[in-house]
Amino acid sequence: MTKEEFILSGLLELYAMGISSPEETQVVHEHLDRFPELEQDLKETEIALENYALSNSTKPSSSVKEKLFNQLFSGNENKQVNEAPVVSMNKKYPIPLFYKSIAAAVFILLIGSMVLNYTYFNKYHKAQNALDVAQQQLQQKEESNEAMSHDLEVVTNKYAMPVVLNGTPNSPDALAKIFWMKNTGQVYVDPTNLPKVPSGMQYQLWGIVDGKPVSGGMIETSKGIYHIQKMNSFGKVDAFAITLEKAGGSPTPTMDQMIVSAKM
Amino acid sequence: MPETIKYSEDELVQLLQSGDQTAFEYLYDHYSGALNTVILKLISDQQLAEDILQEAFVKIWNNFSAYDPTKGRLFTWMLNITRNLTIDTLRSKSFKKQAKIQDTENAVSYTSNNINENDKFDALDIRKQTMLLKEDQKRVIELAYFEGLTQEEISKALGIPLGTVKTRMRTAISVLKKLLQT
Repeated sequence: MTKEEFILSGLLELYAMGISSPEETQVVHEHLDRFPELEQDLKETEIALENYALSNSTKPSSSVKEKLFNQLFSGNENKQVNEAPVVSMNKKYPIPLFYKSIAAAVFILLIGSMVLNYTYFNKYHKAQNALDVAQQQLQQKEESNEAMSHDLEVVTNKYAMPVVLNGTPNSPDALAKIFWMKNTGQVYVDPTNLPKVPSGMQYQLWGIVDGKPVSGGMIETSKGIYHIQKMNSFGKVDAFAITLEKAGGSPTPTMDQMIVSAKM
Repeated sequence: MPETIKYSEDELVQLLQSGDQTAFEYLYDHYSGALNTVILKLISDQQLAEDILQEAFVKIWNNFSAYDPTKGRLFTWMLNITRNLTIDTLRSKSFKKQAKIQDTENAVSYTSNNINENDKFDALDIRKQTMLLKEDQKRVIELAYFEGLTQEEISKALGIPLGTVKTRMRTAISVLKKLLQT
């Protein structure tokens, strides 16, 4: 083809648009070699088309450039990215270890506290028991002390007239005392020196009034303590006697069980 | 823009041949939009189009030694790589399967792509171009240049004689060339 024929063929435009067939491309290359001035024409055509394409730009999202440049040039950055998780994992370990030691310490403290709780609770329990016993003993002493002072009060009363009841042939060693209050006529009996009462039995005080026995009440010895105690009052008494009767007392004295007696 | 470096075509090619990353960044910033349009003419799936664009630039960077400046301009070479990559993707089996599923979605996004086109003109202020270039001329240029259709294929696609395709193409290119001189 002459230069003019080639220009009219339109192959250069097809070539510039990139749609020439391999054979057509070959023809274009040959003519470009033969007529170097055609290069200017080609260049202009390409720039014209290029400007059209540029004027029709559609900006892609910025992530494309980011991904592209990461893919091509971020060899060093990739290493850094790989190192990052390793560092963060190393950082993670001290935290569980720290909490583990804290947990262990708390556990040890808890066990220690439980042991101490147990020990001190036992000690407290023992002390409480000891205190109870001591208080009980104290109360008993106080009671006995009170009884003693009551006894003493009766004995030392200035109106009290002591009457000794001596043992009968039934019980020669036995002895009892009556404290008769002259001002009030009250009668107190001291059974301290009477023999121990057999079980189911009780001492009963009698007063002989006008030749007849009158009950002066039961003598309380159930607690094992033979204290001075208040009995029934008599107006006028000829004699006193104490008999051993069945518990609760009898309406009339059992004469062969008379332990002590005294005539006024 | 704080820094607008302008390279001449020769400078740019030389820097890229020496593996200059800054020159490549300029290349991307300057041409990615135009190449993206080419891809979007053929594929309406925006995500897939961006994947192809990325792959195209990877090819451009890795195969730059294959570019011969005596055979044409850098952009023509880049456009051919991008267009071929897009067409290869369209022909791939996996894409055909996906396309069937996404048919409906594509119909919607195709409309939105057309709307975007109008905005592009404002960006570079080459409105005159659209005024001068008739719609049927534009259609022929885009089918050939953007979509890689041969003149015979364009003739069939538009239902017009091959001679008409040739005339329209020639007229359109001469109009675009005249724009350079103004």
